[in-house]
Amino acid sequence: MEHVVETDVLVIGGGMAGCFAAIKAKGSGVEVILVDKGYVSNSGSTPFASSYAVFNPEWGHKLDDWINQHTIGGEYLNNREWNEIVFKNSYAIYQDLVSWGMRFHRNEDGEIFRGRSIVAEWLRLEQRKISQVLRKQTIARGVKIMDRIMITDLLTQNGRVVGAIGIPRESYDLYIFKAKATVISTGCAGFKPVGWPITELTGDGQAMAYRAGAELLGNEFVDVHSTWINPPGSIYPIQCRIKEREKLRGWGWGTQGIINAEGNKIPTRYRHINLEFEVHAGRAPLISEMNPTAAEHYGVDHRIGIVGCATLGMANHTTEGISPINTKCATSLPGLYAAGDSLGTMLVGAVYSGRGFATACASVTGTLAGLNAAEYTLQVKKIIMDEEKLAKLKKNVSAPLERKGGFSPRWVTQVLQNLLMPYFILYIKHGKRLSATLTLVEFLRDHLVPKLTANDPHELRLAHETKNMVLNAEIKLRSSLFRTESRGCHYREDYPRRDDPTWLAWVKLKEEKGKMKLWKEPIPEKWWPDLSKSYEERYLNRFSRV
Amino acid sequence: MAIEQIDFELCNGCRICVKICPMDVFRMDEKNKKAIIKYPEDCMLCMWCALDCPTKAITVSIRIKSSPLMVSWG
Repeated sequence: MEHVVETDVLVIGGGMAGCFAAIKAKGSGVEVILVDKGYVSNSGSTPFASSYAVFNPEWGHKLDDWINQHTIGGEYLNNREWNEIVFKNSYAIYQDLVSWGMRFHRNEDGEIFRGRSIVAEWLRLEQRKISQVLRKQTIARGVKIMDRIMITDLLTQNGRVVGAIGIPRESYDLYIFKAKATVISTGCAGFKPVGWPITELTGDGQAMAYRAGAELLGNEFVDVHSTWINPPGSIYPIQCRIKEREKLRGWGWGTQGIINAEGNKIPTRYRHINLEFEVHAGRAPLISEMNPTAAEHYGVDHRIGIVGCATLGMANHTTEGISPINTKCATSLPGLYAAGDSLGTMLVGAVYSGRGFATACASVTGTLAGLNAAEYTLQVKKIIMDEEKLAKLKKNVSAPLERKGGFSPRWVTQVLQNLLMPYFILYIKHGKRLSATLTLVEFLRDHLVPKLTANDPHELRLAHETKNMVLNAEIKLRSSLFRTESRGCHYREDYPRRDDPTWLAWVKLKEEKGKMKLWKEPIPEKWWPDLSKSYEERYLNRFSRV
Repeated sequence: MAIEQIDFELCNGCRICVKICPMDVFRMDEKNKKAIIKYPEDCMLCMWCALDCPTKAITVSIRIKSSPLMVSWG
């Protein structure tokens, strides 16, 4: 059965960015539908968010200090315009959240707890609660939430985005959304690692935007997080037992550092790839040492082996994503807006140095995307769809169900993970290895993806996720090959140094005549580092002293 | 991968796990009005089901794996 749903604004993805977009668009007086492939309040990475960066001059914060933290930490690739917008708006959002009943952690004297990351500060969110508060507010404002529907593709008409097509979890139905404006807020593009709670975030938004012709950027920066080797992925499940965390107040997670096989401590201040260098040099296994009391409480050994690539594929928040064409969260496709981790604001630059910026960015860009999408709907009179094009797309969406034989999406996903997971592909990179992996990913794209099979609606979703992951893998590998230098968490063995000013630029890409076209977009010269300073002064963190 | 079992006696058929699982692991056994683990291989250890189950009927083991997990180095 086919359902046709009409609305003014369609928001895809119901994490922090999506809920803010829906709430603010609805506040402008237009009709809003929020669709999520999971269940809003339990999907995405928002329920796991634990910190929120709030900029408030009354607390002694200085805007330049906060922005410079990203410029130096993010190695000059941060977008200072977005920094300013996000920071300046973060306090108003914080007040919104407080008025909606969101509690922020307080010290024993009753003062708001303010954590520090270098110079910027963050507040502690109650994990889990944040997404519940957002769901409640979204519904209370009259937004229609449609859970458990995966949007597979955008609908376009004369280069304009006019809605989307989606599949529900439990039936063979199809949903056609006709929308005057669409907001993508589907989070990062991971490859289903179990080491980090980015579970279902397979970069669907970026993939569908790319297929529709949108520009993406920043995909060469892949986040570095480690996780326990046994059992992997167990940090968060334990962390999110909030009541237990409360008992452990003041201890934090209790990590006392990471030591290599020779017994030396490894510096881990920024999320550079220090751990991977240790491994590459033959100094694995790596051990995480915890506060013994905390370890006893959690019921784990205080010395735990760790491995990297826990967030496999995920960018360092706010970097990879759909390129904004202005500060209204509009994209290169009319009618399409993006927010949160799906929007390439380059807020943090080449590496994430701080805490709480992903949530601040998601809520502020969500707000802007919602308001501007609502405003855009006023200039759209009627949505016309090319029926022939739509019929073709519908056939494509359900094709895996029709195939008699082929490849199962679970197997193709495993093959993809095995190609990308070893530390020497997306972390310690080399042109030759990137090219070799790209050749194999292209084979997956050309030979396996067109033959994906599905036995039921659940597997149809898996097939679309797999297709999106393969596309995102190609995007990340090509972007990594394109940037012939090292910077932030992008390290190339064959180009081990930063290359100023050649690479004071962002890597953008889009589909052109069936091919992925990449180009360099220089950052404004006024944001460059002082080139008269020595390399060592410009780059405080250096890759193994390169 | 990691979800182990739903205690048949404890499950009260509230459907919360079916509704909230980000990976769509559960289905309802409509005849018995109980949740069942339909796609265990898709579990990604987020733990929402175990945390949200009102009768604590769900066991997710973070130590049990049905297949060796791909890791970044070893």
